[in-house]
Amino acid sequence: MLQESTLMSNTLIASSMVQVSEHQVNEPLRNKRLPGDLAMWFFILAELTVFAVFFIGFAVAEQLNSEMFIVSKAKLHPVAGLINTLALITSSLFVALSVRAIHSGNVKRSINLLIISQCVACVYLVVKVWEYQFLFSLGIDIETNTFFTLYFLITFFHFMHVLLGMVILIFIGINTKKGAYKEDISGFESGACYWHMVDMLWIILFPLIYII
Amino acid sequence: MVTTKQAIISWLFLIILTLASVYAGKVLDNNVMFITAVLLIVFLKGQQITDIFMELRNAPRMWRLLLLGYVFIIPGAICAIYLL
Repeated sequence: MLQESTLMSNTLIASSMVQVSEHQVNEPLRNKRLPGDLAMWFFILAELTVFAVFFIGFAVAEQLNSEMFIVSKAKLHPVAGLINTLALITSSLFVALSVRAIHSGNVKRSINLLIISQCVACVYLVVKVWEYQFLFSLGIDIETNTFFTLYFLITFFHFMHVLLGMVILIFIGINTKKGAYKEDISGFESGACYWHMVDMLWIILFPLIYII
Repeated sequence: MVTTKQAIISWLFLIILTLASVYAGKVLDNNVMFITAVLLIVFLKGQQITDIFMELRNAPRMWRLLLLGYVFIIPGAICAIYLL
């Protein structure tokens, strides 16, 4: 009798411990959490604001010089813009999958996915450099007209952000290999979110410059 | 936490939307419809990046609304500039 009651009480204690541990595990999942560091999100907001000024400025300039913009846009390669869009979206996917892998503790997979994302991002760099060279070969540069001033200014500014994003992700990849994100992965998430921001900016930039 | 399947589905959706925005330029003759459609696609793509890739779907509401607001207000402002 005594043994039975001891066994029951032990079972109850074990059951309540399981419930507590499950509660503790599930609790953070229910809480809303901002991925990455707060400072990075303020930096992202600042970057988005700067680009917003460029986008609105471009649209206003197009309305004021619509004929010139139509003629100038015809000299661009929409396919190059499309390839760059697909490259950045695909690169963002691999970065998102890399974050997922580091969450699961799969360091090797995370690094491999980061490497693939950077290889895909290189497609963007190559196509953009080719596009600039193509325009230069036609005798077009930043001083040709208002459209090309804004085109070179905005796309090169974005190009520099892509380069910065790549440097950040390479740095993160090296740190991941050194085992820096075994406990706290907020630095990893911050870099990833910066990269997605670069992608988001291109998603607005592409139709504005190449399609509309 | 966004799953691998969700991320891949989101990527496919982004690819389809990108191709749709290019196709819209060849199909839609009406300038108002064309610009509205292309900028609506920009919002949908921005929403996918915000919620799935950036994982702000499970973030504090303010941050999610800030990013979604950006991809809604900026294309909306551009649309207004072109159409007004």
